[in-house]
Amino acid sequence: MKKQARNGVVLALVAAAALTAGCATPSKPDEMVATPATVVHRNSDSVSVAVSGGKETNPMWTSQISSDAFAEALRDSIQKSGLFGSVTDGGGSYKLNAFLGKVDQPLFGLSMTVKMEVSYTLVDTRSGKTVWQKDIASQYTAHPSDAFVAVKRLRLANEGAARANIQQAIAEMSTLSL
Amino acid sequence: MHRLIRATLLIPLLLLAACATQTASRAPDTDLSSLKTFYVARLPADHRGIQQLISARLQQLGYRSTWGDAQTSPSPVDAVITYQDRWMWDITMYMIRLDVQVRDGRTGAILAYGEVTRPSLQRKSPQGMVDQTLGELFK
Repeated sequence: MKKQARNGVVLALVAAAALTAGCATPSKPDEMVATPATVVHRNSDSVSVAVSGGKETNPMWTSQISSDAFAEALRDSIQKSGLFGSVTDGGGSYKLNAFLGKVDQPLFGLSMTVKMEVSYTLVDTRSGKTVWQKDIASQYTAHPSDAFVAVKRLRLANEGAARANIQQAIAEMSTLSL
Repeated sequence: MHRLIRATLLIPLLLLAACATQTASRAPDTDLSSLKTFYVARLPADHRGIQQLISARLQQLGYRSTWGDAQTSPSPVDAVITYQDRWMWDITMYMIRLDVQVRDGRTGAILAYGEVTRPSLQRKSPQGMVDQTLGELFK
């Protein structure tokens, strides 16, 4: 009986540890940078990037994607792709707005899938005209083999979904003849 | 010994009893006050009728609103509402999180979103969750 009780305590402690292990950390910009793909049309003009709709991470809750982190990843991805001549902090020939409208995260699970939707708008700042507008959906699943601890698995799923989203946005923009 | 087990099991419960949060955000240059007609698209996985609660609340707020199973409105509207509800069990089932997106009725692009999370100890009824989320979105 005593042995059973001891096993019970150990099991309860393991369950508690598994549920609470680690604090949530924000999604990292470096991990959201898209892999450079073939760019159909390059543009020598400059572009500035503005992101809104992101959320800050509460360490006691779940990993989130902040606007600043997504903006940094988007800037780096554009730079790496060579899509525009340069990426500036403001006042470029074009302005790319990205609104993180949906980041659908699971509360728990072994394989965690994050579904994301970002509304992009590319504006020619010289004419004020919107030259491209698109709502891009992406998703990414992180498995226990990627990370055993759930909070990290969710962060990886966030980053994967963001990376795929940025990759798709760059691919779409690269088909534009600006 | 049993007390120790119970005390240990309380640890995750206490940590899961986090604070309630509510957030809303709008895309740049979005003016929700110009929207008058809405269509609420039922989430295919939802069999609790959350779409009806959202649509009824929009009507109470003075908007014209309909709902349906189709993901796009059968007739032209200013905006389409989509949502995701998350449920947990703690003695009884309760809605822990509700996300609502307001989409352009023509393009489907997300114009704004609202989100409310209420853990077990601060749980609200589905109606209460809908009221709070839409209140945050349209304030």
